[in-house]
Amino acid sequence: MDMFDRRGMLRCMGWAGTGALFTLGGGIPGSITLDAALGATPKPGFSFLQISDTHLGFNKPANPDPLGTLKEVIAKAKALPVRPDFIIHTGDVTHLATPEQFDLAQQMLGEFGVPIHVVPGEHDIVDGNDPRPFLDRFGRAARGEGWYSFDAGGAHFVALVNSIHLGDRGMGTLGEAQLAWLGQDLAGRSASTPIIVFAHFPLWDLYSDWGWGTADGAQALSLLKRFGSVTVLNGHIHQVQQKIEGDLTFHTARSTAYPQPAPGEGAGPGPLVLPSVQLRSAIGLRSVTLRQGAGPIAITDTPLA
Amino acid sequence: MPNLIPFARAATAACLAAVLAFVVMASAHAAPAPSLPHGNAAVGQKLYQSCMGCHSLDENDVGPRHRGVVGRPAASVPGYAYSTALRKSGLVWTPDVLDRWLTNPQKLVPGAKMYFSVANPNNRADIIAYLSQQR
Ligand code: HEC
Repeated sequence: MDMFDRRGMLRCMGWAGTGALFTLGGGIPGSITLDAALGATPKPGFSFLQISDTHLGFNKPANPDPLGTLKEVIAKAKALPVRPDFIIHTGDVTHLATPEQFDLAQQMLGEFGVPIHVVPGEHDIVDGNDPRPFLDRFGRAARGEGWYSFDAGGAHFVALVNSIHLGDRGMGTLGEAQLAWLGQDLAGRSASTPIIVFAHFPLWDLYSDWGWGTADGAQALSLLKRFGSVTVLNGHIHQVQQKIEGDLTFHTARSTAYPQPAPGEGAGPGPLVLPSVQLRSAIGLRSVTLRQGAGPIAITDTPLA
Repeated sequence: MPNLIPFARAATAACLAAVLAFVVMASAHAAPAPSLPHGNAAVGQKLYQSCMGCHSLDENDVGPRHRGVVGRPAASVPGYAYSTALRKSGLVWTPDVLDRWLTNPQKLVPGAKMYFSVANPNNRADIIAYLSQQR
């Protein structure tokens, strides 16, 4: 059951040193699997789950059955002792944005039984750059091309859309209208408010050769700099990657469908075919717990197996 | 990533050398300048990775399959649902047209459904050189 190799462990410990803990397990800098969490005593606190890159409709060898693995994720989420307050989905809900895939996605996301906040990935907007078919299904509270914000658990959540207008080498773009809105949205908020930003593409330059970044992400980050705690969650990369920059921490999530290679390794940013017994160790979900008061935000990434 | 950096640097140097050689040649012979820098297919193979979120050589996905694309008429892969705009474009994917496509597909074919571009001309030339070899 020990999902963490030595490298993973060291990464977590590095984390603890900078003020964020992978807890759920009583403040020990380390991580526990979701299976272990299932047996843990429920603790009060506000929590949510992040899922990403469900890619419903994908059917290639990297995972011929992304619907099946999503169902496994749903079952795990429902078995948690503490019901998450909501779920965020960081995009690529579907693979090809067809009406059938959107139908299936709506039905499946409903199965979680808790509210779900979604941002689109570029696979959700395949036909041109019109996000409306996606927003009609998933964008209830959205403005502009789908961005929105809300308050929950003492934190301010900001959903950004950087997957509609793709820039150089396919990088995400926020655009001026969205950046202006973000400036207004953040203005007047106390610097001590924890901010949680979520978007499909990473806001930091993870690996721009593969388009793994946001062309104008730095402008968003400069608006966020004055806050004491900023957590940025994204998808698109199909693997866990983290970065800390001052008070900003960045977390890229696993897909629930298929993995992609590490940045710059292998053939490119496409589906990575693993021996089938290994697939479930490379896909999964993430849970995030906020403590009331000034406690650290606890983030646990959990593979399916 | 780390193992790619020296490679990328070497590639940049090679491109620079190629461009310089070309400039020297062009001025020495005052020949009409070809419109594209010479691409390096090996570098192009690496750069092609950025297309693979949507394309592959042999399978239709978000975008059409690419094998044999250089020299073929636009929107001619069977079984792929092209935009009307690209189907009606009448283009043929010569290196020059591909260069304009990768610079800004929306400008070349307004209404096409590829939203992805490559800003650096040498990168484009390298990608096109790679695609030319994928017969
Ligand atoms: C975000 C997805 C995406 C990425 C990344 C992408 N493309 Fe495309 N590409 C498309 C789509 C969609 C089409 C179909 C356009 C249409 O029908 O209007 C297309 C069409 C094409 C065509 C026309 C092919 C034909 O059969 O007529 C070429 C050539 C092409 N892309 C090259 C590239 C290259 C080279 C790259 C990488 C540098 C790339 N594309 C990256 C989505 C993408």
